[in-house]
Amino acid sequence: MAEDLVLDIKNLVVHYETEDADVHAVNGIDISIGKKRTLGLVGETGAGKTTTALSILNLVPNPPGVIKEGEIFLEGKDVLKMSSADLEKMRGNDVAMIFQDPMTALNPVMTVGDQIGESIAIHQNLSKKEAFEKAKEMLKMVGIAESRAYDYPHQFSGGMKQRVVIAIALACSPQLLIADEPTTALDVTIQAQVLELMKMLIQEQEMSMLLITHDLGVVAEVCEDVAVMYAGRIVEKGTADDVFNHMRHPYTEGLFDSLPNLKQRGEELVPIKGLMPDPSDLPPGCAFAPRCPYATEECSKAVPQLMPVDGSETHFVACSAYNHPEFRLRGNKDGK
Amino acid sequence: MIRYILKRLIMLIPVILVTSFLIFWAMSLTGGDPALMLAGDNAKPEQIEEIREELGLNDPFIVRYGNYMKGMLTGDMGQSYVTKRDVFKTFMERLPNTLMLGGAAVFIAVVVSIPLGIYTAIHQNTWKDTAGMIFALFGNSMPNFWLGLMLIIIFSLKLGLFPTGGKGGLDSLVLPAVTVGFGLAALITRTTRSSMLDVLRQDYMTTARAKGCSEKQVITVHGLKNALIPIITAIGLQMSLVITGSVLAETVFSWPGIGRLVYDSISKRDTPMVTGSIIMCSILMCIINLVVDLIYAFFDPRIKAQYSKKG
Amino acid sequence: MAQANELKKQYKKRTLAQETWRRLVKNPGAMLGLGFLGLLIMAAALSPFIFDYEVDVIGQNMSERLMAPGAAHWFGTDEYGRDLFARVIYGARYSLIIGVGSVLLGLVVGTILGSQAGFHGGVIDSIIMRGIDIFYSIPNIMTAVVIVSLLGPSTVNLMIALAFSCASSFARIVRASVMTIRDQEYVESSYAMGLPTWKIIVKHILPNCLSPIIVQITLLIGTTIISASSLSFLGIGVPAPAPEWGALLSAGRGHIRDASYMCIIPGLAIMFTVLALNLLGDGLRDALDPKMKK
Repeated sequence: MAEDLVLDIKNLVVHYETEDADVHAVNGIDISIGKKRTLGLVGETGAGKTTTALSILNLVPNPPGVIKEGEIFLEGKDVLKMSSADLEKMRGNDVAMIFQDPMTALNPVMTVGDQIGESIAIHQNLSKKEAFEKAKEMLKMVGIAESRAYDYPHQFSGGMKQRVVIAIALACSPQLLIADEPTTALDVTIQAQVLELMKMLIQEQEMSMLLITHDLGVVAEVCEDVAVMYAGRIVEKGTADDVFNHMRHPYTEGLFDSLPNLKQRGEELVPIKGLMPDPSDLPPGCAFAPRCPYATEECSKAVPQLMPVDGSETHFVACSAYNHPEFRLRGNKDGK
Repeated sequence: MIRYILKRLIMLIPVILVTSFLIFWAMSLTGGDPALMLAGDNAKPEQIEEIREELGLNDPFIVRYGNYMKGMLTGDMGQSYVTKRDVFKTFMERLPNTLMLGGAAVFIAVVVSIPLGIYTAIHQNTWKDTAGMIFALFGNSMPNFWLGLMLIIIFSLKLGLFPTGGKGGLDSLVLPAVTVGFGLAALITRTTRSSMLDVLRQDYMTTARAKGCSEKQVITVHGLKNALIPIITAIGLQMSLVITGSVLAETVFSWPGIGRLVYDSISKRDTPMVTGSIIMCSILMCIINLVVDLIYAFFDPRIKAQYSKKG
Repeated sequence: MAQANELKKQYKKRTLAQETWRRLVKNPGAMLGLGFLGLLIMAAALSPFIFDYEVDVIGQNMSERLMAPGAAHWFGTDEYGRDLFARVIYGARYSLIIGVGSVLLGLVVGTILGSQAGFHGGVIDSIIMRGIDIFYSIPNIMTAVVIVSLLGPSTVNLMIALAFSCASSFARIVRASVMTIRDQEYVESSYAMGLPTWKIIVKHILPNCLSPIIVQITLLIGTTIISASSLSFLGIGVPAPAPEWGALLSAGRGHIRDASYMCIIPGLAIMFTVLALNLLGDGLRDALDPKMKK
């Protein structure tokens, strides 16, 4: 099992240390992605998803960001212990990233062809001209005419820009693609197109992917594995089937209840009450306890650890309620 | 692009007309009676009247302006009251000296300040940053003619390394160029730093790093090219500072440029010389501004596109 | 409802100012600058009560001419035996009044011109910007020469002359800011909502370039003080025998070999004043825009 892992994050802790506060963005998470698998990392804004993604490339902005603890193994090598030369070789070549906002992710004073060609030139030791030719092929692959390689980002629409960003990311056929909310900034109609394109390319190039999103619909469509993140911790993880059909964590349930269900139209939407706690001032116990409808006194005493669900090898949940074997979520289908 | 340049050049014409009109008008109001100046102290009234007639000074103002502009087209801007020399020729003789001084000053400023600005931006909030910023602060706060005086006291009078003034070999250019360049360097350092800090925060810098660019490539290829746009604007905006600085430095160092020429002409009330020089200076500045705008377009495709669209 | 909004706005403004002040206090450079400027303003304001202008500042005393700095005359005396300390302190009045006056005058004119040019574009932009080009194309020292020789040398005319160059700086800054945000969606949407142009300028565009303007004001007061002294140095600024700092330097230049303190001291006065303004300006910028700092 372990040797099949493309990415294995162990006990990652990242803080942002500013003058005013010490923000606990990521608080000891463990996630792993197998070869050719796609993991969806789900959570609200501010849950620490993007920080996790940047940590994999060792690109957490420092200062103020500090990776306090943990190991991030990429094909067995710890990213956090790499020299800067090794990091440069890894970035873009082994791991590539698609950013949330294509409007700002592209350099405004460089042609898109140059921007795609740049990483090819770096990692495949090609001349600028050869790289540019390859960049044209990449453009074609993401569905943009080759002739547009000479254009600048301001001449493209949002969806087209995101295609360019995808082309940059896939230019060197990385083993792992990190996509940070790749469709959030796009129109709904474009979202589906871009998602479809990514899905197709990933299958074609046999890549693994870490898909960061707050959109459960996107996860259902693309991901095989799911990890749910809350206030810098993983609260539940498992296969898509585990999490979608056999959910265990109250937060996961809350996320699903707040989604409109097309099959049961009459059903009422139930938003999760309250707000995520301030990451510079987390409660001592379970961070979700203040908002949790099942919370007991026990919950605010100790941080619950991820435990296997009913002896499952894939499905884990971090919730103290399961210390009582009879506990079931109200809406849990297989629990009734 | 070429159409844009042509358009800008054509647009220079009204600018020159209005500028020269205003200057000509202002100077004719204040310049005293040229006939009196030319005739000398012992002239009889008839002689003065003769000169007035000869110079066309009895014509209405607008006719005199028309004649002046007609003359300007052929390089005839009248002659100096004091030296009796041709204004246009004198100006053109002096111009290379000022361009040399200004060029050397800009060169010194750019070579020092852009690397320094980048360096301080990268090491933001460290002592290196603070040291660079203190340098820039002092450079910004010093009147450059005073810096020139201090340089003379230290390097000429005390150490005897450079001449106190005049134009000789390359060594005579050093102190004046440093005098003009220092303030400019301080300004460009600050602009480069803040522009670079701004760029460093941009998402595309993260994209570049995530691609595997080395930190050096990220800074020079992605950072500097974006940061250069405000830097060029700043340099362009400061071109008149260079000229102003040159006027002062030329006065302090007796450098035979146009600044010195204007200063001498003002103190001797040599109206044709002042009028001509200031008009020529404004034309020179228009051309410099145009060049700056074109450089600007060269670095920013968005602006280039705008220029092309406008034709 | 409108009243409530007004209240809310006031409340927000006050806390913003308080927040800015709180951050400014933490900046030692800015506090140093502010302290120096406070002292200087106080000295300038009190100088008529400390010194008798006719006797101490412009009164000649040939028996004490060219005395080096010492206990009797802290900054020495000039070629007419006038106490340089009294003249430098008195000179602060000129520099401060000219600096602040010119910049404020320039700000009003420049903001109006720049926002109009940037917002409307097209013909209006061309006319305004070409007009500004005209003033800008002549180095400000030459504009000043023309204006001062037209209006006659006096402190007020010097201020008007210097305000012209300030105005063109402000106009260019405002125009550039306007042009970069003019096409952004939130501006377009307020346009689409039918907000009149001047309201859009005041509500959206000016707040966006407020910090560069504030920074520019402090920087320009410094620059203008330098320009004013440059003009006086050339003999076309504040007329003699007023102890303007540039005029003091001009007099000192003749004695650069035998009394170099006459060159050094007035320049230091200019430098420290402008330095204090720059320190304060930088501090203000950091305090106004905390994002810039981190």
